Amino acid sequence: MRALFLGGFAASQVEWIAPALESGIETEIAADDCDRRQVAAALEVADIVISEAWRQGLPAAPRLKLLQLPVAGTDRVDVAALPRGVTVCNAFGHEAAMAEYIVMAMLVWFHRYFDIALGFRGGSWQDSGVTGGPLHRELGGHTVGLVGLGHVGRETAVRAAALGCRVLAANRSLGDPPAEVEQMFALAELDRMLPLCDVVAVCVGLAPETRGLIDARRLALMKRDALLVNVGRGLVVDEDALFAALRDRKIGGAALDTWYQYPSREEPDIRPSRHPFHEMPNVIMTPHCSAWTDGMARRRGADAARNIDRFVRGETLRHIVART
Amino acid sequence: MKALFLGNVAADTANGIRAELPPDLDVEVVAEPRELTPQSAATADILVTNIWRKDYPGAPRVRFVQSVATGIELIDLTALPRGAPVCNAFGHETAIAEYVLMVMLVWAHRFREIESGFRTHGSWAPSWVQSGAPHGEIRGQTVGIVGVGRVGIEVAKRAAAFGCRIVGANRSPREPSYGVERVYPLAELDRMLPECDVVVLATALGPGTEGLIDAHRLALMKPTALLVNIARGTIIDEEAAYAALRDRRIGGAALDVWWQYPTADEPQRRGSRLPFHELPNVIMTPHNSGWTAGMVRRRWDEIADNLGRFVRGDPLVNIVTTT
Repeated sequence: MRALFLGGFAASQVEWIAPALESGIETEIAADDCDRRQVAAALEVADIVISEAWRQGLPAAPRLKLLQLPVAGTDRVDVAALPRGVTVCNAFGHEAAMAEYIVMAMLVWFHRYFDIALGFRGGSWQDSGVTGGPLHRELGGHTVGLVGLGHVGRETAVRAAALGCRVLAANRSLGDPPAEVEQMFALAELDRMLPLCDVVAVCVGLAPETRGLIDARRLALMKRDALLVNVGRGLVVDEDALFAALRDRKIGGAALDTWYQYPSREEPDIRPSRHPFHEMPNVIMTPHCSAWTDGMARRRGADAARNIDRFVRGETLRHIVART
Repeated sequence: MKALFLGNVAADTANGIRAELPPDLDVEVVAEPRELTPQSAATADILVTNIWRKDYPGAPRVRFVQSVATGIELIDLTALPRGAPVCNAFGHETAIAEYVLMVMLVWAHRFREIESGFRTHGSWAPSWVQSGAPHGEIRGQTVGIVGVGRVGIEVAKRAAAFGCRIVGANRSPREPSYGVERVYPLAELDRMLPECDVVVLATALGPGTEGLIDAHRLALMKPTALLVNIARGTIIDEEAAYAALRDRRIGGAALDVWWQYPTADEPQRRGSRLPFHELPNVIMTPHNSGWTAGMVRRRWDEIADNLGRFVRGDPLVNIVTTT
């Protein structure tokens, strides 16, 4: 049985996945520098492909049975373009890193950390307690609303609750919420949750029912000083509406890690939106790296490797997202 | 009976709690200590302040000193009448514990550099979409808390929820609790330091802690470790810390408390005579980790409660010492 790491991103994950594989499976790597003929030859014999993407127009993969994503996000997989009989699975391990990011962004926002640190490095004591400077806010005691209560939302709930936050959550499916979540809302009742929140943290993936979920009307339901955190996918939040709400201070601020435009070979330094979010003082912005920790890479690589081992041994697969 | 509120922090406190004070208590506010008159000092029964110096006018009637801060090192106890209880004020634990978690996270996630690079230069280099080098996380890190007191315990509770392992060192023996796996006697600090990814100083300044983190102890820390100081600057040896940070013998430091402070003559005075502000591996804030609206509200409540107790003759809380 042969496994193929397909594409530059999958190739970069070999170091985390391959050492964790226990089944003695043959592996091959087809990174971005392979031409179409090399990719076709590799796909011809691959039983397993490890890649975060699948699109129309790839060479035939007649033996393919498992597409193991080395990531959680499934939005780059065109399921209709896969041959029949393929199981698509994703991998986790990013949730602790992203939960840390969400709490960090909230703390930095409430404590005005970036402003204070910048001013003090420049020599100003104006924000100091010893000079009677302006007070900042604590996160404890505030209400955090999670949009999406999956792996990331649950880990965030544990940490936010330990910091003394009241945690609410809206989710597509209502299951038993963890003890840290005080109240659950159906996604259809999101409008009831938003006005209660000092922080709204978007941690859902992109799907038809989440695309544009946070639109102008819902932004207007948020508190005027609320913080919006988006670690899900850019398109869950309406780009134009978000920019306008931040510019006009209809919400307090935003901490954004996921975006509307991404770099390409032609435009490696492309700005992440057609709007100048980078000129807004009430925006904290990072380049889609909330999950990008050493611990995540180790856990997620091991998670993907365990699933490949299960497939090789004929055991039940985990994290199945589609079957063709 | 008269309470003298001295200094700008005490003046704000007086404004905040006036309505909660006993109606028969006279309140005098002197926001600027240099303007304290002998008459005001001589008639004070209660002193509410964070500062008292030898060269101030005599205050022979003072029978109770209520500090508006936790640390009382700026109050010269020998310059006050003997036998007065000295109480301090807390209420800052939540704010400071949040600060400690924040700087641990910001450091591990390289948040400041990544945010600033993305905002200013549009750099996607740290992103997974560019297969950039991953940053760290605090899950699984070992956090060593020096001083397992009110602040230390609040740090421990929060760090435990992030999957950190927590150890501590304390002057008096303490049973491990609140997620702290083990508490070393302070005398055995040298055994704790090499284990820690983060060392948090949360102890009071005193004869046993001044210069506690010296060159020898800095050398015991991991070369990647983060040193967090939210206690008092002089618990760390200034020159040794600067050298260790400059030469990367420890990973970095997050410093909220300093070795020198601004004065009326030098309002822009740096926190150290050494250029910590030129080091990229230093997170620096101007002594405001506890400086939140929540802290002020809780502290005011404590101070108002204690003044009421004194007037009624009830037992005081938070007695640190006696003059």
